[in-house]
Amino acid sequence: MMCYICAKEGQFDSDAVAVCTICGMGTCMNHTIRKDIDVWEGGYPFPAKKLPKKMPRMFCPDCSAAFGKGK
Amino acid sequence: MASLSTRCIAEGVGTLLLVYFGAGAAAVTLMLAAGSNPATPFNIGIGQLGGLGDWFAIGMVFAITIAAVIYSLGRVSGAHLNPAVTIALAVTKRFPANETVGYVIAQCIGAACGSLLFALTVGMNAVTVGGLGATAPFPGIGYGQAILAEAIATFVLMLVIMGVAVDKRAPPGFAGLIIGLTVGGMITATGNITGASLNTARTFGPYLIDSVLGGPNLWIYFPIYIIGPIVGAVLAALFYDRIAAE
Ligand SMILES: [Zn+2]
Ligand SMILES: [Zn+2]
Repeated sequence: MMCYICAKEGQFDSDAVAVCTICGMGTCMNHTIRKDIDVWEGGYPFPAKKLPKKMPRMFCPDCSAAFGKGK
Repeated sequence: MASLSTRCIAEGVGTLLLVYFGAGAAAVTLMLAAGSNPATPFNIGIGQLGGLGDWFAIGMVFAITIAAVIYSLGRVSGAHLNPAVTIALAVTKRFPANETVGYVIAQCIGAACGSLLFALTVGMNAVTVGGLGATAPFPGIGYGQAILAEAIATFVLMLVIMGVAVDKRAPPGFAGLIIGLTVGGMITATGNITGASLNTARTFGPYLIDSVLGGPNLWIYFPIYIIGPIVGAVLAALFYDRIAAE
């Protein structure tokens, strides 16, 4: 699979290295944003605790912006 | 996870709200009925205005407050709001034994603060007429009967907590609503028997502040609200573990 964003820019030779978790587009290394999301365990009637490891999530730039409200 | 002190503050604030609104609703009902002639000797004022509807109203205040606190503070401290619940979770090794004392003390302090705050906002009639919503066995209800009633009602509460919250197979999201409504239902049913505490801290708060501010002295009944709820909750947790294991 090629990178969707690169392909739209007319560059058809960049391989996708990831698939956006949300929209499913393939993205190359330059267009992939990795976010490490906190994982919580527990909740009523136990205090929730943050697990030591975070969960990786791959996003395209647009979904990343929407997911983090542009942050 | 939040530190033990942070979690104790959450337990304290949650129990404060439970007592302020729940026990407060019972005190207000007594104040509303003050001066009227009770229809029967079984009636001390609550029930004078709307029969079991009075208890339903009080139960719904508890139900809504408990649901609100569980949804808002449940992930911080677990929102037990009740020594019987904390002890039952500790006995079945779900909650660390060394944190249990801290939780119970926090719940009792929170409950006392709730009663004090209620007295401050409503005035001395809340203490002398309303008794700050303190629980006591009703006319004709014996000590042992009261313990039994508290134990049965708290058994149901803890059984529901086990089934809708502790059990990992429970559907997510319903715990606060169902547990609140369960307490509301138990209060409607057993209110006119024991005052329907189901919770040692909920009784301790009004008792302590009544003593400080010159309200009724009901300490002789306190063991009912220690033994009944704790025995009922522990039995429910053990029972659930026994029947739901397979
Ligand atoms: Zn690209
Ligand atoms: Zn995307």
